[in-house]
Amino acid sequence: MRTFVQRRNPLTLLLVILLLTLPASIAGRAALAQDDATIEFWLDTTGGADTANCIIDNVINPFNEQSESIQVRATLQANGWDATRTALAGGAGPDVVVTPGPSFAYELAQAGQLMPLDDFAEEYGWSESFTPWALQLGIVNDQLYSIPSEVETLVLYYNATLFEENGWTPPTTLEELMALAEEIDAAGIIPFAHSNAEWRPANEWFVGEFLNHGAGPDLVYQALTGEVQWTDPAFVSALEMLNEMQQNDWFMGGLDRYYTTQTATTYAMLAEGEAAMKIEGTWAVTDMNTYFGEEAGNANEWGWVPVPSSSGEAIYDIGIGSTYSINQNTESPEAVAEFLTHLFSPEVQATLAVECGQVPAPVEIPAEALEGLDPRYADIIDQMNTASDAGDYGYTTWTFWPPRSDVYIYEEVERVWSGDITVEEYLQGLQTVFDEELQAGEIPPIPER
Amino acid sequence: MQTTTTPAYLSRERQVSWRKRAFFRKKVVPWLFVLPILTINVVVVLGPALSAGYYALTDWSGIGSANFIGLDNFRRIITEDSSYRGAFVNNLLWLCMFLTVPIAMALVGASVLAPVRRGALFFRMTLFVPYVLPSVIVANLWRSLLDPDRGIIGWLNDRGVPGTDIALLGRQSTVLPTIAFIDNWHWWGFLMVLFLAAMQNIPPDLYEAARLDGANRWNEFRDVTLPGIRPVLVFMILMTGIWSFLTFDYIWILTQGGPAGASEVLSILVYKNAFQTFQAGYASAIGLTMSFFVGIIICIFIVLRRRGWEI
Repeated sequence: MRTFVQRRNPLTLLLVILLLTLPASIAGRAALAQDDATIEFWLDTTGGADTANCIIDNVINPFNEQSESIQVRATLQANGWDATRTALAGGAGPDVVVTPGPSFAYELAQAGQLMPLDDFAEEYGWSESFTPWALQLGIVNDQLYSIPSEVETLVLYYNATLFEENGWTPPTTLEELMALAEEIDAAGIIPFAHSNAEWRPANEWFVGEFLNHGAGPDLVYQALTGEVQWTDPAFVSALEMLNEMQQNDWFMGGLDRYYTTQTATTYAMLAEGEAAMKIEGTWAVTDMNTYFGEEAGNANEWGWVPVPSSSGEAIYDIGIGSTYSINQNTESPEAVAEFLTHLFSPEVQATLAVECGQVPAPVEIPAEALEGLDPRYADIIDQMNTASDAGDYGYTTWTFWPPRSDVYIYEEVERVWSGDITVEEYLQGLQTVFDEELQAGEIPPIPER
Repeated sequence: MQTTTTPAYLSRERQVSWRKRAFFRKKVVPWLFVLPILTINVVVVLGPALSAGYYALTDWSGIGSANFIGLDNFRRIITEDSSYRGAFVNNLLWLCMFLTVPIAMALVGASVLAPVRRGALFFRMTLFVPYVLPSVIVANLWRSLLDPDRGIIGWLNDRGVPGTDIALLGRQSTVLPTIAFIDNWHWWGFLMVLFLAAMQNIPPDLYEAARLDGANRWNEFRDVTLPGIRPVLVFMILMTGIWSFLTFDYIWILTQGGPAGASEVLSILVYKNAFQTFQAGYASAIGLTMSFFVGIIICIFIVLRRRGWEI
């Protein structure tokens, strides 16, 4: 006797099996969709792939191994910001949106391309792990849209061995800085190993430092909030001092050298004692360690002090190197928020700093977690965190100025140095551009003092 | 010779069919061949071009929505933006430099190399190689060579050669000619090869006849060579004029328009406005003015052609 199966066409049998298994399959897929998520994270490789690979090895792979439901797919992207912006405009892009700073995140938030993070911040307790001012930087129209990463500041690096040999003391006031630069110049040594050949916006480091440290961060805050004008005499005299330095050929030995010397050469000259000082950001620590010491062919040591100020008080201008947000079109916002919580945990930030040389985010990192880090760098982070917790911080131009004003600052200052315009005309021009952006509501969030 | 006349020996029915096929073959098939590239051009050229025309009338930031502001961007270009005027002047200087120096060098080079037989390929390849190098490599190569402390200039400076203690890319007075020199170094070999190919198409009889008439080398060049290569020469002058208004890569890599705007050209302004200051609408307006200037150059050539110039 033929059985039921034998009597029926095999195709019919297949159909029956499919029908029986379909509900289970659909249920399984639904469960997977709820619990399992793969999120896309683009890592910028414009400055080289080493840091990106280090992040993959030390953060993403361990996260993927420990997580049962979330997998982070890391993609290396040259010109990451341009790629991200283009993809977002097309309604696509990575789930984790990384921008070069709060003003860029501000533009994306205004365009409705980012997801508000307030609920996640509350759910995961972000406000407790970040320093008080940090999350304020990501607020647009009273909602949190971005998390700041890579908190930076600028300090005065110097060739400690050269200073010791010549009996020079690191300055604390701007007057001392000017007097010391004159003395160094007279000794036939270049006072400042500065150049903008490979990064033209380097101009803004010096403008920002002199505005904050010459006129004071309180006045800068008032100008950023529209209470005082950029043409204030205190700003004028601060930038006159910067201009005097350029006219004295103290930056790299002359304006033409400042515009053309390669960055590597500036480090080499500082390390070899051909130049004495360098005002640069915390990102420079890795290079300082590369160019100083016996492995680099010299027996010199580097040291650092806060960039001198008119009052002599230590001021650390805070900058944000990048921000993190969630793509408005992501399918897994919860998963991205969970990954961001992991990424911005003090332990992971400490790992990034120690293993990858990454500048940490503004989160409270216990000192013991930074073991293995260059003690001078750990000291900078510690001092900067202490100062920022106490509210003694200034403002970097690329973080707190709106985009047009920022570009104006670093492009037009060259006309001051070339003698085409005066400092007053330069600041008047800045005021005009700034007023337009202020009226248009394009000023990035400024934490209250 | 092809004819469209319907063959008389065909029946009336077949004549109609033949006409239909002929129509399809002559009027439709060519369009089918062109259609793929035409579609691509509409998508990647015409579409963005039209959208640029629209965005030039808006305050678009490059992200999100755009607000219509009429001709305000063009008013700003004309009345407010001093950097635009500076960039435009630099574009004109660039145009003058590239309409003279590389073309003159290429003409001389091609004339000298044309009669060379032994090692001709070597010379041509040597002079052509810079053209195939990526601009970022050429720019950085010359940046190193011109470094007043470490490059050739630095080497000469160390040996006391006067005038070598300067950073040519760091001075307002020298930066634009220096970048033009670097760009020209990579460009003129290409021009020379084109001119050389055109010269080799000139019948030798013409030179022989000129020599019989007592022409010297200069007379031969002026009265035989130049007229012989005129179509190529004029075409390259036209293209040089167009490309001069679009130049971007060498300037961006070497100075980004600095110092103090001394090497800024219109394409640099477009980039900065579109990608650094979130003024994509204004950048579109600047881009349209560039198209306008290029259009003027093309119109000049069309007018000259209609007036009977053999170009």
